[in-house]
Amino acid sequence: MASAARRGRPKIKPPRRHGPDVSIDKTWADLANNIREIQNHNAPNLSFEENHRFAYNMVLHKQGEMLYRGVNQLPGRSSVPVGNMIRLGQILKYMDRVYAKACRRLNLFLKHIIRPPIKDHLVTAILTQIQFERDGYVVNRSAIKGCVDVFLTLEDANGITVYKRDLEPALLKESQTFYEAEGSKLLQSCDAPEFLRRVEGRFESEDSRTHHYLSRNTAPALRQILQSHLLTAHLNAVISMEASGLDAMIDLNKIQRHGAALSPLHHGSSGGEVINQASSGIEGADGETASKPRPAAGAQTLALALKWVQDVLDLKDLFDKIWREALSCDRELESTLNEAFETFININDRSSEFISLFIDDNLRRGLRGKTDTEVDAVLDKTITVFRYITEKDVFERYYKGHLAKRLLLGRSVSDDAERGMLAKLKVECGYQFTQKLEGMFHDMKLSEDTMKAYRTHLSQTVSPNIDISVIVMTSTFWPMAQASSTCTLPLEMIKTSKSFEQFYLSRHSGRRLTWQPSLGNADVRVAFKAKKHDLNVSTLALVILLLFEDQGPTDFLTYEEIKQATSITDVELQRHLQSLACAKFKILKKHPAGREVDPTDSFSFNADFSSSLQKIKISTISSKVESGEERKETKDRIDEERRHQTEACIVRIMKDRKHMTHNDLVNEVTRQLATRFLPNPLNIKKRIEGLIEREYLERCDDRKSYNYMVGPKLSALDIVYRRSSIGMNETHRMYYHNHFSNCILYLHGNMNF
Amino acid sequence: MADVEMTKADAASESDWVRVTSDDGYSFLVRRKVANASETMRDMLDTAVGNYLEGIERTCPVQQRGIIVEKLLEYMSFKSYYEGLGAKEDVPVQEFMDRIPPELVLELLLAADYQNM
Repeated sequence: MASAARRGRPKIKPPRRHGPDVSIDKTWADLANNIREIQNHNAPNLSFEENHRFAYNMVLHKQGEMLYRGVNQLPGRSSVPVGNMIRLGQILKYMDRVYAKACRRLNLFLKHIIRPPIKDHLVTAILTQIQFERDGYVVNRSAIKGCVDVFLTLEDANGITVYKRDLEPALLKESQTFYEAEGSKLLQSCDAPEFLRRVEGRFESEDSRTHHYLSRNTAPALRQILQSHLLTAHLNAVISMEASGLDAMIDLNKIQRHGAALSPLHHGSSGGEVINQASSGIEGADGETASKPRPAAGAQTLALALKWVQDVLDLKDLFDKIWREALSCDRELESTLNEAFETFININDRSSEFISLFIDDNLRRGLRGKTDTEVDAVLDKTITVFRYITEKDVFERYYKGHLAKRLLLGRSVSDDAERGMLAKLKVECGYQFTQKLEGMFHDMKLSEDTMKAYRTHLSQTVSPNIDISVIVMTSTFWPMAQASSTCTLPLEMIKTSKSFEQFYLSRHSGRRLTWQPSLGNADVRVAFKAKKHDLNVSTLALVILLLFEDQGPTDFLTYEEIKQATSITDVELQRHLQSLACAKFKILKKHPAGREVDPTDSFSFNADFSSSLQKIKISTISSKVESGEERKETKDRIDEERRHQTEACIVRIMKDRKHMTHNDLVNEVTRQLATRFLPNPLNIKKRIEGLIEREYLERCDDRKSYNYMVGPKLSALDIVYRRSSIGMNETHRMYYHNHFSNCILYLHGNMNF
Repeated sequence: MADVEMTKADAASESDWVRVTSDDGYSFLVRRKVANASETMRDMLDTAVGNYLEGIERTCPVQQRGIIVEKLLEYMSFKSYYEGLGAKEDVPVQEFMDRIPPELVLELLLAADYQNM
């Protein structure tokens, strides 16, 4: 206080001490005497102030205990008339207030009034009233509250309230019996939603009961009883009820109804468990029905894949909605739901492929004409499903394949959407995951620049007849480097490609270029009898078409002849012949006619071809979904890649730790690889053995742990590890770029014949 | 302070007067309503049940200096005056607090505890 600092102000005086002017014993003797006088109805002769001060002084001088006992021991207290009791209360008020906190005096009440049989009668009465209310009658709540309040205030010697000691156990026991019976009764008479609704009603009414006239402390115990006897005990039966159980509710999409019905489930995590078991069962069932019929035809499989993902998304939406509306966004439930989704999605071993196909489809067709926000929403949804996949490396492989096709064929709807998707994947899985995908985009951009430079170069020199457009793909980024199917190009095209090769190699020395004609396409103007048409065909189909350039309209080329001339592999050749001769636009005539191409067939140029369109796109019959064989190959390659990654991971860890026990190592490897796939411990063990053989590791004497061998034969092997190690640094990358990269070319030619 | 004529001795109405005395001889007359602001005084003056000497004589001896008793009574009047007012009204608590000399606070505290208010 500011004023306290000022000088000249009077100091705060310590108050006069209420010292015991007379001894405590004397005080008590006087007080006891006076109390007796009061009991003899002599109050009007006594001074209140004096007696009050006696009690006050005793309490103040820490003699409250003596006072309290003394008052208790005074004779005749049980027969004290009410008036005298109050008078005593007035005098001893300070004791009550400061020393005994009111409850001590109530002991007398407790001892003499609340005791058998009155107590038992009271308890029974309260229980009966509660039972009445549970049966649906209206009871006098305030009367019950009055009784319960008395019970709540009274404490026995141990500080436990009478309520806690006598009423609560009886109440809980009663409730338990009641709800056990109620549970079985409801189970027999109601269907699932009705059951849940009634249970919810019970929860609410018990809640309001404890709130209004029972102790708040009873609520958890009561709730526990409800949970275990009314809900959990019957939940399994209810959930699996035919025609009305959880299956039916979710199938019928009755959000509103089970919004009310399911909410009691969140009363217990055990309830949550059950709903999750049930729902994962449902998802499993739904998923199976979605993926069971597997027709061989590619288009149908594609549709199936799209449908599957769409189903999954719908299911996810549905469960999200249920979770939001019926389960009030319970965190625990969310995680269990997620787990259920994860298992269910991973049951389908093709989920990675399907999801990638779904994204592919959306980015190629589905998103056309949609706004950015819509695009984003679709992609976001897909990412949520993607999150559940454990085998992310498989997804990456497929996604890479699909992305490559989109980029090369220019099929992507929008570059923004592509990059958006890439960004989302990056957020989800880190930059290592998208490094190669970004590399692909980078290559596309580089190639554009290269082509510009090449065109300038051509304008200064003699240009070949064919206009060419090349995309140089770094082999480590693009997925199809290994599957290089070559063919014998016609002379004209060889000239063109050589011209580019020279140009490119003069700019980048030390690189190797491999042409990938199977990935290219070409525009070609063909003169039919009716008129000329511009055809857009794949490069291989162009090669085939060029064979007919010098043929007369009636000349035939057999399958074998074509194969020899072009040296295209059987699979590719059949595909391209089919798309030329058997698809919508029949540029070639097949003899005999039919849908499939056999090695015994022969072909001729269809000069009578006519179409209303000037420009015709001959799309190659392609299998978007993998065939059985391709899948096996993909699987092998993935396994191979996983082997490398596992080894690299082991070496990385061991290099860091030098010494590790087997279990720790396996755990660490599993942990580090978990973002990409779920490694099998057995495989890790195999890889460790392989590394021991190659002297990267050595087994310690205890047979349980390993040492890292410093400086093993550094060889190409180490480079392989570094290369496959995630997070390869820039110098390494440059190294590979310069020395190992096969640059794959892609032809885009314009040709007239 | 002037003495006031007592009309009906037994009527414990809120508006009749009671005497509060200090131990150094001061004596204050206040309405019963004001005295009731202290529980100890209310019990002391209770004629319905208690019926002690003080209740009959309508005199409350307070064993404090006159200045303390005066402040106590001032607070009790203040309290009983503002008690009945609605929540909308501003109670000038700060003003009242400014009127308490700091050198009295400890004594006042003890007295207030004794008076249970």
